Amino acid sequence: MPPIVAGKHRRKVRFSSSNQPPPTASDPATSQQKRPGTSVKHSKVSSARIMATQELPRAGIPELFTQPPSVQDPLATESSDLQSATIEKCLPFLKGIQSSQQGPFNAHGVPALQRDDHIAYLYDSLEDYPSGFVILDASRPWMSYWGLAGLFMIGEDPTRFRSRLLQTLRPAQNRTGGFGGGHGQISHLAGSYAAVLSLAIVGGEEAFSVIDRHAMWQWLGRLKQADGGFRVCEGGEEDVRGAYCVMAILTLLDLPVELPPNVEARKAGLENLTDGLAQYLSRCQTYEGGISGSPGVEAHGAYAYCALACLALLGPPEETLTRHMNLPLLLSWLSARQYAPEGGFSGRTNKLVDGCYSHWVGGCWPIIQSALDGKPQANGPPSTTVGSLFSREGLTRYILSCCQAKHGGLRDKPGKHPDSYHTCYVLAGLSAMQHYHYRTDRSVTSDRNFASAFSWKSTPIREGNVYEKSDRLEPLHPLFGIPFPRPTNCGSGAKLALCRPTRKRSR
Amino acid sequence: MDGQYANDPEWADVTPIPLDDGSNEEVMPLASIAYPPEYIEATSYLRAVMAANEMSERALKLTQDVIALNPAHYTVWIYRAKILFALNKSLEEEMAWLNKVSLKYLKNYQIWHHRQVLMSSREHFPTIPPKELDFLMEMFAQDSKNYHVWTYRHWLVRHFKLWDSPREIEDIDALLKADVRNNSAWSHRYMLRFSPREEDVPDSGLANAGDMSTTPADKGRLAIVDEDMVDAELEYAQKAIVLAPENRSPWWYARGVLRAAGRGLGEWEEFAGRFVEGDAVKSTHAVELLAEVYAEDGEKGQKAVDLLTLLKERYDPIRKNYWDYRIKQIEVDV
Repeated sequence: MPPIVAGKHRRKVRFSSSNQPPPTASDPATSQQKRPGTSVKHSKVSSARIMATQELPRAGIPELFTQPPSVQDPLATESSDLQSATIEKCLPFLKGIQSSQQGPFNAHGVPALQRDDHIAYLYDSLEDYPSGFVILDASRPWMSYWGLAGLFMIGEDPTRFRSRLLQTLRPAQNRTGGFGGGHGQISHLAGSYAAVLSLAIVGGEEAFSVIDRHAMWQWLGRLKQADGGFRVCEGGEEDVRGAYCVMAILTLLDLPVELPPNVEARKAGLENLTDGLAQYLSRCQTYEGGISGSPGVEAHGAYAYCALACLALLGPPEETLTRHMNLPLLLSWLSARQYAPEGGFSGRTNKLVDGCYSHWVGGCWPIIQSALDGKPQANGPPSTTVGSLFSREGLTRYILSCCQAKHGGLRDKPGKHPDSYHTCYVLAGLSAMQHYHYRTDRSVTSDRNFASAFSWKSTPIREGNVYEKSDRLEPLHPLFGIPFPRPTNCGSGAKLALCRPTRKRSR
Repeated sequence: MDGQYANDPEWADVTPIPLDDGSNEEVMPLASIAYPPEYIEATSYLRAVMAANEMSERALKLTQDVIALNPAHYTVWIYRAKILFALNKSLEEEMAWLNKVSLKYLKNYQIWHHRQVLMSSREHFPTIPPKELDFLMEMFAQDSKNYHVWTYRHWLVRHFKLWDSPREIEDIDALLKADVRNNSAWSHRYMLRFSPREEDVPDSGLANAGDMSTTPADKGRLAIVDEDMVDAELEYAQKAIVLAPENRSPWWYARGVLRAAGRGLGEWEEFAGRFVEGDAVKSTHAVELLAEVYAEDGEKGQKAVDLLTLLKERYDPIRKNYWDYRIKQIEVDV
């Protein structure tokens, strides 16, 4: 899900010698995917057809990741120029011969995860920002979430930030329900989602008690639309992000499914927050098979994740996905998001790879795999599975070779600066791909509603990896983006409190 | 507080509400920002006027100041829209200002929703303003795949019922002529031609979708088909494919057209075959389409498997696991 504002800016905290403010969200010089050549101006390509370069790659790297694609059209257009330039820029990184790469490289020619650098970057991302970052003022709950989720995945203990997080979020909550970006900002589903997830990551009764659940429920009811979807805030736009955020909040906070009395949506004949929601998502599937932000627009990877995760929260994916999505069409589009030689995912047809889609597109795969594997039979992995339908090797190579910034943090692609949005979601993609996520026939809650959402488990994948054991990350829940909930005895019905992170492994 | 607002007699009656960012003596909030003093001041006055739900000229001016300091402040945009309507301001003037802001901040959700809120006023805009589409083309000249702008344009089409307006298809033709790989333009074209437009049918990317009575396999099927239009669109896609056969966009557009018309892929067998001569492949999409045509014909299952194997092993090995899955599907069916 794209953040409220592009959180794609270089942290200056680590580079305090610079007095330059960061680029604004839409600075023409840095805005992503803006004008042909701006983001990749150092590698001019005159023709769409790229020639294989002569420099030899490190040992252990298959040709698939060191050569341009075997089928290329001669016709050059803006899209193909950008694509060619991106490949040219990625190739030295994929070959492991770019001087800025840190290594050490393993037998597959893949550099190690710069764990310590990323940990330092993530800790830093939770500290003070200089004045140029004022454009992130409406995204502060996101900043907390990205930092805390990133730290959890990389093996640090985010619960140490509990009291600071509570202090941060208290003034952002509105009496009329929900969280805004900060004090005096109206409640927004994106901010509320990030706030609830952050609280779930730090866990505990106090975190849970910060949230006015009754007001939250009433506010969600006011966002419900007659067509089944949700506005992201009162007076704001309606889109698939809203649908997913509502379902994540509803499930984690164990809120009533019924619509509150006297809300507008009741006049349209709706009774539940979930009424018409799956049908709304169904109408967002496009002729390409992917899913758009709202009905009738172009298929997009971030919205695909929101829609699929939302369907999988609504009910078992083998029922909800097969009932509401044309799965063969969806699979075809999703699979086409992975490119070679880059190995990473793009968000749309004829757009470039971007590390953040490691999560948005990568995160669709476990949900689809679970839908294809069918009804869970036991409290363990299914006896047969379709397995990974994408190239885990390709994604590993893109993330570790192309997305690690020299001084820590992860990024969209070579040539881009890291930021906490990309650091979180690139790590989330790496983590998801390192684990096999499956559902069991048991839920960690006794609740009958949304039992399927709480029946997921994960186990590390041990075969066919091109990364080292020391590069392994902690798993995140595939629908919530938080540590796996586990049963605790800290309160009845308090689902959020169930979501206490498991103790980190010692390394 | 000593600043622009504090020293302005016009604001003397307002008591600003100072920022609470969670800081206190013991605890530092997370990801705090060292706000510029003018932002601290402007947002303190904003909280005060919003708390009083003030609809005034000075509040309108204040929203502009806050937007200039932080255009991603979604709250201020929503407040601004309310004030504009409450004071019955000229929305034409607002649009002119908005155009400048939009070109400055290309990747911004709020601007485009704000524009939609204004444009949805039938009282102010009974028909689409003449320069509206010119401005969108100006935006596309900066970023021809800007998702927010395309989302807004889709809304415009539905709001003003522009599906058959010549300008829509002219702009799409121009954008595809400039870059035949512009998938956003292809998507918009599909919406113009095949998305539901009936008043009583909710908006949908595919016809026949999101209804309890339909199954996902039938998504996209039109109840009534204009075969001439379908033929013309298929020809349009073929011309685009000839220019760049490995361009995914027109291939999948054509599949969507055939799906809408309830026609099989079989009629494209000859055309697709032109891009696959034995092992010499000019388009992986042609190979995939041929494989599907063969798979539908039970007796040619092996030929289908051979083609998918070609993709898996030679032309598109990054998707090996997916091609294996597809091969398995055919083997199960056979």
